[in-house]
Amino acid sequence: MAYSVNVAIEAPIENQIQEISYDGTEVYQQPLSMSESLSKLAAKIDFGKGQEEKEEKPNEKQEDEAAAKDPAAYQSSLWPWDSVRNKLKNALTEVCVLSDVLAIAKEKRYLVLDPVPQDPPEIKAMVTVYARKKALGGAAAVLLTGAERLRTSQSELVRNRSVPDFHLELLQLRKNWRLKKVGNSIIGDVSYRTAGSKFAQSGMFEVSKAEEDTPSNWSPPPPQSPNAGPAPPKTPSALRVTLPSELQGVAFIEVHCRKDDEALFSTTVTSASLNTAGPMPDMHWQKKLEAAQNVLFCKELFNQLAKEAVQLPGPIPHMVVGNQIVASILPGIQLIIGLRHSTSSNSKKSSGPPQQKKSDHDHVLEHSIHQLLREVHHKNTHHPFPHPSSGPLGPSKQRCLAGPTAVDRHELTEMSKSQTLLEQIIEQTQHFTMRRRTEYVLDTIAKEVRDPLIVSHWNSINSPTKACVKVNILTHGYDTICRTLLTIHVGKKSLKCICRDGSVMNMSYEIQELRDLLICQIHQHQITAVQALAKCMGWQLLSNSMHLGVGEVQQMGNASSCILASPIGDRLIAVRCEPQAGVHVSIAHSPRKDFFPSQLVKERKWENLGGSYKEVRWDKMEGKNFLNKMELLMASLTSSS
Amino acid sequence: MAQRGLPQSKEALLKSYSARLKDDVKSLLENFEEIIKLAKGESDSQLSRMTQCEQDTYEMHVRSANIVRAGESLMKLVSDIKQYLILNDFPSVNDAITQNSKLFRQKQSEADQKLMMLRDDMAADLYDLEEEYYNSVYKCRIAD
Repeated sequence: MAYSVNVAIEAPIENQIQEISYDGTEVYQQPLSMSESLSKLAAKIDFGKGQEEKEEKPNEKQEDEAAAKDPAAYQSSLWPWDSVRNKLKNALTEVCVLSDVLAIAKEKRYLVLDPVPQDPPEIKAMVTVYARKKALGGAAAVLLTGAERLRTSQSELVRNRSVPDFHLELLQLRKNWRLKKVGNSIIGDVSYRTAGSKFAQSGMFEVSKAEEDTPSNWSPPPPQSPNAGPAPPKTPSALRVTLPSELQGVAFIEVHCRKDDEALFSTTVTSASLNTAGPMPDMHWQKKLEAAQNVLFCKELFNQLAKEAVQLPGPIPHMVVGNQIVASILPGIQLIIGLRHSTSSNSKKSSGPPQQKKSDHDHVLEHSIHQLLREVHHKNTHHPFPHPSSGPLGPSKQRCLAGPTAVDRHELTEMSKSQTLLEQIIEQTQHFTMRRRTEYVLDTIAKEVRDPLIVSHWNSINSPTKACVKVNILTHGYDTICRTLLTIHVGKKSLKCICRDGSVMNMSYEIQELRDLLICQIHQHQITAVQALAKCMGWQLLSNSMHLGVGEVQQMGNASSCILASPIGDRLIAVRCEPQAGVHVSIAHSPRKDFFPSQLVKERKWENLGGSYKEVRWDKMEGKNFLNKMELLMASLTSSS
Repeated sequence: MAQRGLPQSKEALLKSYSARLKDDVKSLLENFEEIIKLAKGESDSQLSRMTQCEQDTYEMHVRSANIVRAGESLMKLVSDIKQYLILNDFPSVNDAITQNSKLFRQKQSEADQKLMMLRDDMAADLYDLEEEYYNSVYKCRIAD
């Protein structure tokens, strides 16, 4: 029985369904061509897989097929062979690198291939811990050393109270001196520029910290700084002051007054402490700076004086030679001003001469020279008001008042004249010389002339160029009866004497004139005193002449005379006083007690005319002095009858 | 205010002081932190252990030295600021000057007064002495 059934054998749907439309129609993908199929399969090859992974390939292939079925993966590829190419390229690169490395390694110059130990060495934990501990210990040691250093420096400051702190000293320095910071250094200034000085030389100094443990800068504390209390006598200073070489050492200005190559007096301008102390290299900074300031001041003073000496016109030009100014003040007398600057090296040599001349040291002139420059400084900074705030100069006070007080041209020109320092010093020195000469004359006369006493009183109020002396001429024991007063004004180059009678005598600098005047005055005093005494004794003054025209001519002045009569008129005394020869006293009797008629004079009445004078031998007279002798003479001649 | 009047350079100096302060303090802190980190030792590197330990030791030393340096730098800063204050503290300098000048003026007036008194006394005594000297028989040799 055989009936056959047709069995339809169909190929399965080879093509994948692309999409199913809504009406149920299935749209198939076109089957892959042979080349497409190849490229697809090639893309699936993983070249990176190692040999050992090849066994698993069949499984992977299945997976790859599954992945390949995803149309998105396939379409992402830009170009069918792109991934294949990339992989091949990477492989090439790696092979190239490998070949390069091998080539370098073969050279054995730059690279050496060593077998890598398969097993890393066993790390013991304790070793690491010990290593760390050691490292930390080292770090701690470094820290401790640093901390120790800080601690020592701190504790040393606390312990060594005698060593002042650098900053404390700096503060002290700042309070007394001008300081500023330039770069890394501290610069100070000792010049008087802020006080009005216009000297060009700078007074810069440098402040630095002193090195530790230098006993060389042990020195006494600053004496002048007002705030510093009584410090221990020897303290090391934490400051070091470095001065320029031209300001080191000690300077002073020496003033001699020379008379025909013979020093009359000399003065040294320097502070006494500096004179004795000398320039020590390890002085305290305060003293060091003061010395430097003094050096600068002396230099400025000398500079100023030398400039003026060159410019000043005079009958005898002033000379400036080296460190010396020679100015003539009076005929035969020269003023020599010298600048002495001794640095530490030659201090011993130059400190000798001032020591010898110390007896002639004149503090007044020293002071006035100082004062003159200080005055100039003061004037430079203190202008009278009103003055422009921006301008360095203003009109003087006199000039300000010139307008309101209607000053004329002459007065204005007088106003504009100003004296230089040198002129002022010369004037003061002239006055000084004049005063010395006047003193000398007065004392010499007082010593020479014993009879009338000459008492001179110097006025305590005077100025640097004017002094006054009162001369009193009197006789010992008779000072209430008569005294002659003279006042002598001592000026710069002249003397003015105001006499008892009000007459004024002007004299030049020659002392002989004063001497002559005084001697004349002494003899006039004698005559005046005799007259006053006669009045007391009851005697009559018959005649009196201060300037007698008779007798021999006097070398100096005139002789003066007076004639006195006894109370009853029978005795006469004639006194003649000559400045050179002294006193002559003569007496006459009229009438004489005993009368002998002669052929010529026959009657007694003629005797009343007065007889001839007989000179008294004055040196044989009793009495202490002239007036005493006169008193005794008068007393003996006064007859009771 | 006084601050406004400061010139540019002073302003910059003050700023540099404050920057130095901050830097130094920061350096102290950072270096300390780094040392602590190193002490933990959690660094993973390809170096061998010994090299690593050696490096750590060296680094710790350097960092601790840095701390010390920062500390000393702070001390230096303190000193610098002190110096700056001393040199630029004009009010206190003015005070000192005023005080000094007052003191010296006072001293001057005192000295003047004393000198005046001395002069008066001496003038009075000199008058008497002159009177006595010139009235006496004995007179000294006068030096020229």
